[in-house]
Amino acid sequence: MAAQRPADRPRPTLLILLAAALTLLTLQFRGLQPLDAFQHGVRDILEPVRTLSDRLTDPVQTAWNGIFGYENLRMENERLEVELARMRGNALTSEADTELLNRLLSEVDIDYSDFEAVVVRILGSPPGNFTDHLIEVDKGTDDGLEEGMAVVTGAGLVGRLEQVDRSRSLVQLATHPDFRVGVRLVTSQDEGLAKGTGTDGILRIESGVRLDAQVESDEVVVTSGGRSVFPADIPIGRVLDPDANADYRRSIIVELSADLENLSFLKVLIVDEPTGVDR
Amino acid sequence: MSSKLRVMALLLTALVAQVSILTEFRIQGSSVELMLVVAILAGFHGGPERGALVAFFAGLLQDSIMSAPLGLHALVFPPLAVAVSSLEQRMIRSTKLTDAVALLLAIACGMFMVAAVGLLFGLPPFDPALLLVKALTVAALTTAVAPPVNRAVRWAVLGGLPPEIRLRSATS
Repeated sequence: MAAQRPADRPRPTLLILLAAALTLLTLQFRGLQPLDAFQHGVRDILEPVRTLSDRLTDPVQTAWNGIFGYENLRMENERLEVELARMRGNALTSEADTELLNRLLSEVDIDYSDFEAVVVRILGSPPGNFTDHLIEVDKGTDDGLEEGMAVVTGAGLVGRLEQVDRSRSLVQLATHPDFRVGVRLVTSQDEGLAKGTGTDGILRIESGVRLDAQVESDEVVVTSGGRSVFPADIPIGRVLDPDANADYRRSIIVELSADLENLSFLKVLIVDEPTGVDR
Repeated sequence: MSSKLRVMALLLTALVAQVSILTEFRIQGSSVELMLVVAILAGFHGGPERGALVAFFAGLLQDSIMSAPLGLHALVFPPLAVAVSSLEQRMIRSTKLTDAVALLLAIACGMFMVAAVGLLFGLPPFDPALLLVKALTVAALTTAVAPPVNRAVRWAVLGGLPPEIRLRSATS
């Protein structure tokens, strides 16, 4: 039990500490490089400890996830069963689907797989409890990665590199509320800016697309390229709700084609100078 | 060992544990907030001034390993430590249960403060219902690991000194 000693000066001390913290916050928002370097440095110093801990605790962690993630595993199993049933149904109409797919691919002209890419392994959630829609991967500046680079899977866009240390990086998933990406609707050729919603698997196009543009459900959405940080024509997903009856501001819901829940490996596209307007 | 060295050893050990083992084990995406509980217990054992100083450096170290802006936790932890110290001095009687409940509430309060201040300084907005669930989960997890942390913080900030003896005048 602590009693306040006569020498204690809580109020001036507290004010000085608060002023120091506010100064640090202000300086970082002004882009003071040494503060960023300090954070990168501390994380780099701790990286070997984290890697060792990852390896040592891996068996225990697997058991832990089996116990506390059982409900998630059960739900995932149910989802996969539904998916399997849907795919069996799709197989019955495969000829029609193949024709549709070929048409869409020719429209989209997907060539993002031609980019130089670095394959990264997902390590899990970064430290802290305010890290939803962020994941940590096992490569960093030593492997040529830079902040802002696009992160994809074979199914399409997953996110972008938010923070890159020497041997680890943080990926901001496309569902993160701060995520922005320039998009193009393949059929109507309208372009807009999509943002993460904080909801799994969903993006929202809130600006750019004309009110009278003919947007259909299931229309393919790709990255627009141009001044965007992302290369053009990376598949993003399909329109879930075109919001055709909007009076003032159109809000188009897009379902992501890449499943962000069950990822193990990702590809980071290596492009020169990723400095776009949606960064 | 001097008090400063003990506190430094405590903070560095807590930091390493936070970024390694404790990050690996999560329940519903929530993990133990070791630096937060160190800050709270420093206020409890060390009094307002020492508690605020330890809490500030705990917050700064927490900021340095996270994607959060530098200074965010350092802004939140010291007032929390001072508040805990102030409440501790006003408590007439305490048991292990009341201490545990108070700690749980302080941790949940700290989580809300980080979310609120973070909203001003760049953290993404949180659904209030999800935040409540997360804060309570984190508080429960962190309270569960608090007993050994409590002993370590007490050793660091008091240096193994015997607890103070308070004299209260008896009223007839």
